[in-house]
Amino acid sequence: MVAVRSRVDRLVSPTLSRHLLIALAAAVVLLLLSAQIGAYDDYNLTAVAIFAVAAAGLTLLTGLNGQLSLGHGALMAIGAYTASLLLKDHRQFPVIVVLLISVLSSGVIGIVFGYAAARLRGPYLAGATLTLAVALPQVATRYKSIFGGDTGLIVPPTAPPDWLGADFPAERWLAWIAVAAALVTMVLLANLLRNAPGRAFKAVRDNEAAAALAGIDVARTQVLAFVISAACAGLAGALFAYWSGITSPAGFSLSLSLQLITAIVIGGLGSLAGAVWGSVVLVYVPLLTSGMASTLKLPSSVADNLPLAIYGGILVIAMLVAPHGIQGALGRILAIGRARWGHTPGGGQKGVVDWDDPAPGT
Amino acid sequence: MLEVIDLTVAYGPVVALHGVSLTVADGSMTAVLGANGAGKTTLVRTISGLTRPRGGSVRLDGRDITRLAPDEIARLGVAHVPQGQGVLAELTVDENLRLGGLWRRDPPDQRKALAEAYDLFPPLASRRHLAAFSLSGGERQMLSVGRALVARARVLLLDEPSLGLARLVLVQIMARIRALVTERGLTVLLIEQNAKSALSVADEGIVLHLGKVVARGRAHQLLSEEGLRHAYLGF
Amino acid sequence: MSRFFVLTLIGLTQGAIYAAMALALVMIWRATKVINFAQGAMAMFTTYLALFAIDHGAPYWVAFAFALLSGFLLGAVIERVIVRPVESAPPLNVVILTLGLLLFLEALAPMAFGGQIKSFPPAFSIVGLHVGNSQIAFSPFDAFTLGAVLAVMVLLLLLFQKTNLGLRMRASAFNPEVSGLLGIRVGRMLTLGWALASLVGALAGVLIAPSLLLYPTFMDDVLVFGFTGAVIGGLDSAVGAVVGGLLMGFALSYVGGYFGSDLETVGALVILVAVLMVRPRGLFAVQRLRQV
Repeated sequence: MVAVRSRVDRLVSPTLSRHLLIALAAAVVLLLLSAQIGAYDDYNLTAVAIFAVAAAGLTLLTGLNGQLSLGHGALMAIGAYTASLLLKDHRQFPVIVVLLISVLSSGVIGIVFGYAAARLRGPYLAGATLTLAVALPQVATRYKSIFGGDTGLIVPPTAPPDWLGADFPAERWLAWIAVAAALVTMVLLANLLRNAPGRAFKAVRDNEAAAALAGIDVARTQVLAFVISAACAGLAGALFAYWSGITSPAGFSLSLSLQLITAIVIGGLGSLAGAVWGSVVLVYVPLLTSGMASTLKLPSSVADNLPLAIYGGILVIAMLVAPHGIQGALGRILAIGRARWGHTPGGGQKGVVDWDDPAPGT
Repeated sequence: MLEVIDLTVAYGPVVALHGVSLTVADGSMTAVLGANGAGKTTLVRTISGLTRPRGGSVRLDGRDITRLAPDEIARLGVAHVPQGQGVLAELTVDENLRLGGLWRRDPPDQRKALAEAYDLFPPLASRRHLAAFSLSGGERQMLSVGRALVARARVLLLDEPSLGLARLVLVQIMARIRALVTERGLTVLLIEQNAKSALSVADEGIVLHLGKVVARGRAHQLLSEEGLRHAYLGF
Repeated sequence: MSRFFVLTLIGLTQGAIYAAMALALVMIWRATKVINFAQGAMAMFTTYLALFAIDHGAPYWVAFAFALLSGFLLGAVIERVIVRPVESAPPLNVVILTLGLLLFLEALAPMAFGGQIKSFPPAFSIVGLHVGNSQIAFSPFDAFTLGAVLAVMVLLLLLFQKTNLGLRMRASAFNPEVSGLLGIRVGRMLTLGWALASLVGALAGVLIAPSLLLYPTFMDDVLVFGFTGAVIGGLDSAVGAVVGGLLMGFALSYVGGYFGSDLETVGALVILVAVLMVRPRGLFAVQRLRQV
């Protein structure tokens, strides 16, 4: 009896139930919100949710496991193309099936690339993922007959199910799907991080040699983190396909990968809540700048590129001034005097993550 | 003249030096002694500018050099030979030596100083175009001291020159340094764990223990004070 | 003329460009232990500046010199103002910084110069030379490309190996702390290192712009290929970088020629991953013992 009870306790730990509760509350709030706001804002809400899913996976990989990936835009492309191929020619697959298969396909690529990359550190990994980001879209261009070349594949819009009523707006339905996916992802990741896998990720990030000595299988941990983040990117990519209606190489350029990095830096590396902040920025900055551009009658070359210039500026300034992003800044305000950073010798610059050198003193 | 006045150095919460003061007169050698962790290396690193003190000051001929950058202090004539000799392993012997004097921008004098360094340490001359990593411990020590000479240093900070050196080689090197002190007025601050050999070449000595000065005096006095020797110097 | 021979010649010229980019990356890596992911974007920007000069009446060679000079200055300013403050921070921070710079420059260029694809003039004719009765796939401009890259490399070699300045720069890269103790202004040496590397990058930009056409992201592939070449050669070796870059030029030319030009970057990816799986720190890297 005691054994059963303790197993149930571990299954439904206080942490898990707390996460579920938060997710439920968020779901209710967002549900009500989506009903109040119009189609245009539902569309943006969907975009935030999509980026949040991708960013959450990336922040886990980079912030908590110390592997910098410049290629997650390409991993999103895999999810998007999987979904697009499944839905080609108006084939009727249920949304959940499409999403799961996309997660699977990007997860598989994640395993392949993860194994190849498991031994790579620091700049080598960054460079390898950079190459992935630049190379993958070209595969779509090359194999035109399958992937639609530069024009891309059309994704038919998803109609809401009949039981929601004939007047239910498609944008709100998509928003519900995306938000649900985001919440599920967040709960799963949050739970993972509180348990052994999460601790393993951090241990490997902080000091590989020590982690190995403590019995952690370093390579496996690296691959696992990569696969999880790839799966998140794939899910986001599939949702992206539904949201944008068209999947083409141009939509998944290097700049997408860099935007994801901007999102997680803004939110704070390693912070799931921060991934949401960052996604909000990614969606609303372009809207703000295009509004500003039309008021100020700026030429389109300026208007189109202003968001990216801003992101670049944010990354540079953030690294110079506030390496921990919004979440970190909030955290520091809330915990003055409790800071325990100092991965660099001499306690000099505040650190975010150590690259591949052992963190002295930890 | 090198003065250290009430120097306090801390690494985060750990205080490495508590209000240490000492003076090294021109043309003399002072030995800084004490066990591992006593703060000896911290002391030289602070003098040469690699570490910032929390309090106190360092003066060279009356000029406050506490907050200067290491390269500025080096250009004032202070040569710091770190533990492990600080030799640039991938450069040749000749390149290492030349580096010492480059900042002075005086090519004729540099050539002269280079020749003097080779004269003083003949083993270097026969290895001048070899990469420094192929040198033995003793040869590396010669290289870094030679480099200080090429820099025409007036103050030499030597951190544990005996580490990894055969006794005979150490004695030879220290004899040459002693000669430079006597003949050229070189000022030397010598950090050593091996108190006996340090006190046999130095004029003065000070003993550090847990970051504080616990004894100071003429070298021969410290050598003869038995209680002190047993307590802090290990012999 | 056989296909293989044509591809080899093309590979040689391309390889020279990738070698230049690889060299620029390795120079910065050796000096400051940073991979400057913005190197391509910086070269793109200086190429745009050169075109700006040409469009405003400057003769080609003036614009060429202008590109190199602005590369030099751009590298110096970026190191001093943006990179220096974070040089002691964890490497991840610096990488993110260079990525931000990449984004910024790739967005700034179209804002300043317009986003449409532009053509850039070559220094010499791009028509293949005549050898005997046939025309080979090697033009005067290709010869100039090879020559310019070679000349720059020789000059840099002389600088580093034969001059006092080069000696100070090498010392600063090997051991900044000890170099400071020797009175070397290490900061200035690092700035100079970045300036020279950026000049090399700028050269690569103007040499390859005629064939790739000028648009904001035109140097992305070159960066990737240069990086792969540098990694193959081992990031610590300048010679390795040049060799690696040349090898990449040949390899990608064959991939493009036999499998289709769209797959060149995929080819680079395969090569990079294959090399790194066998030697995670590059083919010629020295195995250093890790200090635990």
